[in-house]
Amino acid sequence: MQDRPTSVELLEAAADFVDRELVPATEGARQFQARVVANVMRIVAREIKMEDPLVRSEVKALARLLGHDAPHLHSLDDLRAAAAGMGEELTAKIRAGEADDGGWRGEVLAVVRQSVEDKLRIANPRYLESDIAIRNAAKPQKEI
Amino acid sequence: MEKMEPGEMIRRLTGFIRREGRFDSVAIENLRKMPGGASREIWSFECAMERGGETSRRAMVLRRDPGAHNISSNRRHEFMVIRAAFEERIPVPEVFWVSEDPAVLGSAFFIMERIDGETLARRLLRDDTYARAREVMPAQLAEILAKIHRIDPVKHKLDFLEEPGDNAALTEVRRYQENFRVLALEPHPAFELAFRWLLKRVPKMARKTLVHGDYRIGNVVFGPEGVRSILDWELAHLGDPMEDVGWMCVRAWRFGNDQKPVGGLGSREDFFHAYEKASGTAVDPEAARFWEVFGNLRWGIITIGQARTHIDGFLKSVELASIGRRTAETELELLNLIE
Repeated sequence: MQDRPTSVELLEAAADFVDRELVPATEGARQFQARVVANVMRIVAREIKMEDPLVRSEVKALARLLGHDAPHLHSLDDLRAAAAGMGEELTAKIRAGEADDGGWRGEVLAVVRQSVEDKLRIANPRYLESDIAIRNAAKPQKEI
Repeated sequence: MEKMEPGEMIRRLTGFIRREGRFDSVAIENLRKMPGGASREIWSFECAMERGGETSRRAMVLRRDPGAHNISSNRRHEFMVIRAAFEERIPVPEVFWVSEDPAVLGSAFFIMERIDGETLARRLLRDDTYARAREVMPAQLAEILAKIHRIDPVKHKLDFLEEPGDNAALTEVRRYQENFRVLALEPHPAFELAFRWLLKRVPKMARKTLVHGDYRIGNVVFGPEGVRSILDWELAHLGDPMEDVGWMCVRAWRFGNDQKPVGGLGSREDFFHAYEKASGTAVDPEAARFWEVFGNLRWGIITIGQARTHIDGFLKSVELASIGRRTAETELELLNLIE
């Protein structure tokens, strides 16, 4: 095992340096690239923190959607491979028109939305938050 | 492609302009490379041209093919499309000369007027300087687009433009399905659902016109007063003009100003209405929606392609790499649109 700081702490330290020292000291295209670098570090930090539980729940959801028994997997590599494999299986069914309409379409939309939101939790949580806020604002008010 | 020494480039460019323009003498000043992305090179310069004792000066831009790049488009074709737009009084740079002879500058290029101004959406949407521009630009962009769709390809000898076949929409969906299958390294069920949605709603083409192909904020030079110039005509083709209308509504160009769907500036209704008034044609809301969904899907596939450019080693760039993590933003928008 590794000593402290953790990988997340290292990335956050590096990102803070970029934001505090490099971004203000640069201009134009280089400043833009520096912001990209800090953002990339923060994405990776979130991924280290969150990927395991997210891919675990994605594998469960896909298995249920596709009518498989939930696989018992432990390593992150195995979980990722299972998600990708079932993603391909879902792709084939969508291409065959099985999610065009009917009851299963609703289930597919829900599972796909969840996995897209999981990607954004890591890649751009603020985008997800603002999207949810916009969609909530647009919903008609429920009668009490 | 070997890099040319600046002195050598100036020498060759001077000679080229003198010959093409039949000038007695030409002087080039302040030749500088502009940030232009991997798929093309853009150079800016001032040009003094003398003939029979009279001197004129113009600010100019040179667009040149770089060495290897994975988008192929033709500089001479782009030159002719911009010239057609200029002749129809659309705000575009005046084009001067084009060359496909690699002996001149190493690859095909053309030279046009330089129009100064701003192009960054972030500035347009946030700076007080552009408050007036924000108000007027949606209608201006609709009117200009209507004019673009009236350009007669026959009159302007644009016979190199590919015919879209019976159904431009189906042609484009199939083109992007193929791109997606080649580019994607992982499954994207959200895109699969969007393709199915589109294939079931292919609209009939009400008109076949010249289509700009990348009409959006980012390809518009503007000032505090509004639009100055429309840029980046390299994707112009024949097709359904609603494709350009839909592209203007793609979420990515709102740059966070999601309350205003058209370029972060205004509503769809206002944009469509201004387009209808200027074009004398009706915007079918279902066709516009098809092309908006298609536009988002197309942009999502482009983000995958840009990440591949880094992943495959064509151009190593942290910016290109990070774009691969933005594909999910477009997937979310597509789910919102098709649910």
